[in-house]
Amino acid sequence: MLLLLDIISGILLVTGVFFGLSGAVGVFKLPNFFTRVHAASVTDSIAVILIVSGLVLQTPLGINIAKLLFILVFLLITSPTASHALAKSARHGGLLTMSELEKGDQEEKAPK
Amino acid sequence: MATSKIKVRRYTHSAKWIISLSIFWLLLSGYLKPLLLGFGVASVVLVMFVFNRMQRVDNEPQEFGTWLQIIRYTPWLLGQILSSSLRVTKLVWGSASEVSPSLAKINVETVPEARRTLYANSITLTPGTLTLDVDGDEVTVHALEQTSIDELKKGYIASKITGIWGENK
Repeated sequence: MLLLLDIISGILLVTGVFFGLSGAVGVFKLPNFFTRVHAASVTDSIAVILIVSGLVLQTPLGINIAKLLFILVFLLITSPTASHALAKSARHGGLLTMSELEKGDQEEKAPK
Repeated sequence: MATSKIKVRRYTHSAKWIISLSIFWLLLSGYLKPLLLGFGVASVVLVMFVFNRMQRVDNEPQEFGTWLQIIRYTPWLLGQILSSSLRVTKLVWGSASEVSPSLAKINVETVPEARRTLYANSITLTPGTLTLDVDGDEVTVHALEQTSIDELKKGYIASKITGIWGENK
């Protein structure tokens, strides 16, 4: 039984780490700010969920499980708030998305 | 008669908050020593004092009875997060030219006003879609793929929320 729990939590932790890594790679690989926020949100959401549930399975039954679940709940509430704040301030600061930039290029080229 | 009813409702409302805050403190601390319990009582009293003052200012009583609905909503949202994470991960490891970032305004008339934060946060929480702005009845969403925008326009998150919490009146 304990071995089974260890195996399941191991799988959860490894897949969580994989998604965290994918998010990090995406932050470097994707073309502009708004698309990079999407990559970071992979790390924010699914990686956190998988890693915390893996840790819950490793923890002996007791108060620490409740604490881990609190961490999960608060991360799931605060991380979208943070990404939203970043994206909203970028947009209000005048940063354009990729499709808007392309449109701007076409309008610039058109008169010539 | 009517005022006493309101008073009773306010007291039960406060009682619910006091009980849940105390449970929250106990779960976080885990100690049952008198000193630490005293700190707990003091912080609950302080929070309730601030809470009542704030409620007189904003006049938006926080409903307490949404736990069951949240419990119904969360597993569905986790499923959504999982499937869209897989899609974004595929995009990240694939070639960068496959991304088709797009921007759209989505009408959220049907979502009750008190649930719009939940709606916007659900959009941001699912990878691949990001709420940029909430303005009146419209939400500006940026997505990594055009298909996610199409799905949002069909209202797949909105209909789930209105299915659980009811439509906007």
